[in-house]
Amino acid sequence: MSEKDVLLSIKDLRKVYKTRDGELEAIGKVTFDVKDQEFVSIVGPSGCGKSTLLRIVAGLLEKTEGEIIVDKTKFNPDKEVGFVFQKALLLDWRKVIDNVLLPIEILKLDKRKYVDRAMELLEMVGLKGFENRYPNELSGGMQQRVSIARALIHDPKLILMDEPFGALDAITREKMNLELMRIWSESKKTVLFITHEIAEAVFLSDRVIVLSARPSRQVGSFDIDLPRPRGIDLKTTPEFNKYVIDVYKTLEVQ
Amino acid sequence: MEEIKEGRLMATKKIKEAKTNPVVAFIDKYQTAFSLILFFLTWEVLCRIFKVNEAFLCTPSSALSHLFFKQPDAAYHWGINITATLKEFVLGFTITAILGVFISVCLIWSKTLQKMVMPIFVFFQSMPNIAIIPILLIWIGYGLKTNIIIAFIASFFPMVVNTMAGLNSVDDDLLDLVRYLNASKLQVFLKVRLPMALPYIYSSLKICTSLSVMGVIVGELYASDKGLGYVIANAQKYMDTPPMFASLIVMSMLAWGMYLLVTILERVTMPWRYVKQKSED
Repeated sequence: MSEKDVLLSIKDLRKVYKTRDGELEAIGKVTFDVKDQEFVSIVGPSGCGKSTLLRIVAGLLEKTEGEIIVDKTKFNPDKEVGFVFQKALLLDWRKVIDNVLLPIEILKLDKRKYVDRAMELLEMVGLKGFENRYPNELSGGMQQRVSIARALIHDPKLILMDEPFGALDAITREKMNLELMRIWSESKKTVLFITHEIAEAVFLSDRVIVLSARPSRQVGSFDIDLPRPRGIDLKTTPEFNKYVIDVYKTLEVQ
Repeated sequence: MEEIKEGRLMATKKIKEAKTNPVVAFIDKYQTAFSLILFFLTWEVLCRIFKVNEAFLCTPSSALSHLFFKQPDAAYHWGINITATLKEFVLGFTITAILGVFISVCLIWSKTLQKMVMPIFVFFQSMPNIAIIPILLIWIGYGLKTNIIIAFIASFFPMVVNTMAGLNSVDDDLLDLVRYLNASKLQVFLKVRLPMALPYIYSSLKICTSLSVMGVIVGELYASDKGLGYVIANAQKYMDTPPMFASLIVMSMLAWGMYLLVTILERVTMPWRYVKQKSED
């Protein structure tokens, strides 16, 4: 891909938290680009500041130093970002369909125009027929799927995902990975995905960025050159496992 | 393993049997009514067995008959007295509920206002409410307005404290959810904070029911010419216990009725709290 396709570039990003015991450096200079329609994963040990990084990109936290440059001709970071959190964070008092439509209300778009899209998205995440249920009638996996539909409703260019399947059991997680692959290939979004599961990162991504422990620095970047569409059997191939081992070693070294 | 399983089967069978037993099922269904009837029956029977002096403690039946049969004394006109208390109670409760929620919202909205107003609230709340009554009587005189104000003073503070706790109870992650979309303060409030606080608001309304009745009655006991509190104060002079107990029963019914109304409103406005069958993936 050419230089023009870069959607988001992060340059020398640094984050320092001020705590009672002094300063805590969460992110120490991280630099990388995310290209249009690329699936990029960030892996790193627990507490390495991956979530902080994502929150800065989403505008939920202030950065201390560095730059986040977006191509404004391609997208508007105020309106074209979708965020999938670790928890589903559905509003209990809203039916599934109204939860999906929440971003539309907040962005003050015409809700009527998006009802059909919401129904399509619910069908895409496998929740057709559940639109009039309340969140507490759904299982954990279903709730997280609603939150994915919600992140897609306003047709954002960039989807930020913060360990979205971290709270799910292994089997559901596997299923959700396959679903996410399908959704991503259908919707052609750019995804920045945070996880600490190396296999998950390799399986999903075009590129895996490895961060060190706090203060996090980029210690590796792997282009995952595996054919798409990827199925579950990919995980048993030597190519897949080589990537997993390479990433693992990079994490081990430091 | 098998044995345990059988044991469990037996246990569930027994539960099922218990539930299908018509007598048990009937008692189970009307448990509240049964408890109350049992309580009043015991009271009645004990009074009769020990021949308790009516000037000291009347039987529930004489209290109730006092309530339902026309009395010669005009001071015991139940229609007028119950209506008076009911009116004060409903108005006091409604005013407290509306103002309580409104003021909580204002205080949550502006932290500066909260810092300024809270000490004044605490000052008033720490003062025994009843002690304000004589001053209110000088200012306003006895009657409807004074009693409503007393009910308000008695229940307003708990109402505000609870509602504010509810409005503050929002999960930070939920706020992030709307903040990343650049939601305005008003949107955050209407779409997240307020619905989140509903359960708290209802629980404070429930507390408010009994406190409002108490406030109104205290006012009537102190100075009034009608109402259930007046009936009690008046009957006390003649050691006439049946109207006193009748009044107490009616007061309880009023507060209870309002409580039920709040519960019904709660169920209607928060349907999501009452659906609980989980679906599987």
